[in-house]
Amino acid sequence: MTLPDPPQMEIEARRRSPWRNLSLVWLVPVLAIVVSLGVVWKNYSDRGILISISLPAAASIIPGESTVRFRDVVVGVVENVRFAPGFASVIVDARINREVAATLPENSGFWVVRPVVTTRGISGLSTVLSGVYIEGDWEPVTGSSLTEFKGLAEAPIVRPGRKGSRITLRSTDASMLPEGAPVYYRGVEVGQLDVAHVSPDGGSAIVDAFINAPYDRYVTTATRFWDTSGFTVKLGPGGVDLNVASVGALLTGGVAFDSAFTGGEPLKADTVFNLFVDETAARQSIFTQTGDNALEMAIIFAGSVNGLSSGAPVEYRGLRVGKVTAINAFIESSPSGGREVKLRTTVDIEPLALGLTAETGRTEALAFLRDAVVHGMRARLTTTSIFSAGLKVELVELTDVAPAEIVEGENDIPILPNVPSDLPNFTATAEGVLQRVNALPIEEVMQQAISLMASIEGIASSKGTQEVPGALAKLLEDGRAFLNKDDTQALPTELRGAIADLRSVVADLQNRGAVEKLARVLESAEKIAANVAVTSQDFPKLVNDLRDLAAKAKALKTEDLVDKTTALLASADALIGSPATRALPGDLSNALAEIQAALKELREGGAVSNVNAALSSANTAAKSVATAAEDLPKLTAELQGLVDKANSLVDGYGEQSSFNRETLSLLRELQATAKAVSQLARTIERNPNSLLIGR
Amino acid sequence: MAHARSSQTAPLTARQAGLVACHRCGRVHTADAQKCVRCGAVLSSRDDTSLQRVWAWLAAGMVAYVPANLYPMLETTSLGKTSDSTLIGGGIELFRHGSYGIAAIVIVASVVIPIGKFMAISYLALKVARRDGASVHLRHRMYEVVDLIGRWSMIDVFVVAILSSLVQLGAAASVKPGIAALSFALSVAFTMLSAMSFDPRLIWDADKDGARDPA
Repeated sequence: MTLPDPPQMEIEARRRSPWRNLSLVWLVPVLAIVVSLGVVWKNYSDRGILISISLPAAASIIPGESTVRFRDVVVGVVENVRFAPGFASVIVDARINREVAATLPENSGFWVVRPVVTTRGISGLSTVLSGVYIEGDWEPVTGSSLTEFKGLAEAPIVRPGRKGSRITLRSTDASMLPEGAPVYYRGVEVGQLDVAHVSPDGGSAIVDAFINAPYDRYVTTATRFWDTSGFTVKLGPGGVDLNVASVGALLTGGVAFDSAFTGGEPLKADTVFNLFVDETAARQSIFTQTGDNALEMAIIFAGSVNGLSSGAPVEYRGLRVGKVTAINAFIESSPSGGREVKLRTTVDIEPLALGLTAETGRTEALAFLRDAVVHGMRARLTTTSIFSAGLKVELVELTDVAPAEIVEGENDIPILPNVPSDLPNFTATAEGVLQRVNALPIEEVMQQAISLMASIEGIASSKGTQEVPGALAKLLEDGRAFLNKDDTQALPTELRGAIADLRSVVADLQNRGAVEKLARVLESAEKIAANVAVTSQDFPKLVNDLRDLAAKAKALKTEDLVDKTTALLASADALIGSPATRALPGDLSNALAEIQAALKELREGGAVSNVNAALSSANTAAKSVATAAEDLPKLTAELQGLVDKANSLVDGYGEQSSFNRETLSLLRELQATAKAVSQLARTIERNPNSLLIGR
Repeated sequence: MAHARSSQTAPLTARQAGLVACHRCGRVHTADAQKCVRCGAVLSSRDDTSLQRVWAWLAAGMVAYVPANLYPMLETTSLGKTSDSTLIGGGIELFRHGSYGIAAIVIVASVVIPIGKFMAISYLALKVARRDGASVHLRHRMYEVVDLIGRWSMIDVFVVAILSSLVQLGAAASVKPGIAALSFALSVAFTMLSAMSFDPRLIWDADKDGARDPA
């Protein structure tokens, strides 16, 4: 058997539609393409928006690697780093997530995070290993399409978007206000300082501070800032006061703030605060600075305002409520037709310090003061302290004053009524004393004294008096045994001394030096008393004493003294000017001449009768001297009394015044003279022979 | 006669002999048999959908090869710094650093072989059943090489897999496979599937055509 031929296979496969013939495997590439396209589309749609950030320097930013982060989440990658036109800065192109880029406001902050070591710590340490990155911070907005931003050179102290208030502090020295220094409120760190810079005018240092919400609502116009860095040491009555805010603040500096008074308006934009050196200065600043709504008032003081200066405080019950801004004079026509110079003191009164709110307007503050004036408030001048003659204006509430009210003066400035202070009263007292002193009949006293001097000089310079010593000399020459009379010799000298003293006193009196000295004494006493009286309540006794003294001085029988002095001088004048006294030198001369003659006769071997005659003559002379000297004890007594009176007067004034000394020495000289004359008279009376025998 | 003549110029094919071999177990059936009597596999003298599948897998492989080159193969994190390296980029970098040998291996494994495979499979699929071009024998050799070498393309993927499992030192250094690794693996897998889908018997049909048309 042969193998049958294999049947011819007719492959007439029905031509199937190419779609039916399609393999399922085609799904795989289709799927791959779909997935790829999907990935591409997703990539494209996820592709961030290219923003450009201009930075001062690239700071080792690597394109494609360095990231852009927001709140430490990577939101983009740096794609390119290029120079800005002009090579002034570097522009970093970064691709930021689409949804993040839409939230970028214009003030977005971008900076390069690098490791930074400051006194406040180390930051950015992670970038040592991972490389730098760009940190961004902003307050997200919606629908932003900005793509160009200005970067920051350094990480800002205050991140954009942080809630709080930015304020500006002004200080004279920012050396202890480093960047990032804390701001404390009641010891809690509530903010930070920005970089300090010098104000445009160069006059101060300006540092911005950021107070975090919600603490920024404690910052009002009533807030005062002070520097807490370093420490303060105060030595006061309470001992040593050492104040250190914190060791941290000691190192890093910092500022603190608190409300200096109640009220205060909320912050306005761009508020500038002064930075005070310490808390005390900050709290007292409300007394040295008046706000915008200070009420300007004028006070027209009747008396002198010597000691009141611009800037002097205006106090109300010891609390400073304002300050004196100006003192000037103006001319007012008095009703009588004359023109009068008056002194106007302009003061600024702070409504806040009076307890009114900061919003108080001028009208309301004025109304408040009007009411107070109706109830007896008045301005008054007082001294600022016991140690100074400076004055301040005090607003006092008095009950027994004449009713007054605030009236509008020039330029509609209200005029605050005032009362005379204690000060002028005291001055008036002292002035009264001085007036009495002025009214003393010093001229007459001097006239009397001058005529006395003239008389005494007349005696002294009279020929007869001058001849006495000559005759005595002759007498001594002729008979030494008889001639040794000290009293007689001393008499002219003492008289001359007395005259010289009197002359100097008279000269003093003539120059009114004494009066001025007395006035000065009284003035200084007044000043001391004024200071003592007004400033301290601890010294009323002293003031009383001084017042008593003044009263005593006033009550002193000065007129009596002067009268007596006058009378004394008059009697002295009368005594000296009496014929008997005038005759005395003549008699003495005659006696001496007779003695001389007698001695001559004795020498010539004359008779005893001559001696007797001479003795009787001497006796006569002595008798006349005695007669003349009869008045002398009286004079002495009167002088003594005068001296006593003067002493008591002087005791009242104190012992160190030159007037006192002069007066005393004069009176003592007068006393001594009188004593000497009296003694001479007595000696001659008791023993007339002594004239002859020298004992 | 005709048979004998034909078989002299070209070997007799099973199809010409009216036979069909089971693709799975190799038992020969007559051409009209539908199922293998031994293993039950569906018998077909020629795989009608072979070329379709070849093209489909090839297309998928080529699509996957695009991201494999665009995306990073490796994400190396060293001391906080992350650097990506793509297939070609890594090779070029190695070349720059002077590691020419390794650079050659990397470039051959990741670029030359896949692209060569694409080209080879495309050529085979396009030229199937045509006489022009390379000889049937060369085509068959080409197919065998493609089939054999396909798996070695996975060398890159192995490197990535080993590195990313070994280098996990936390912050100091870590290696993660990138998207390209997956894409490349897929691309290689698709290409292998493409090569496997190719029915080499189609090559012989071309030879038969050639034999049928003697000069």
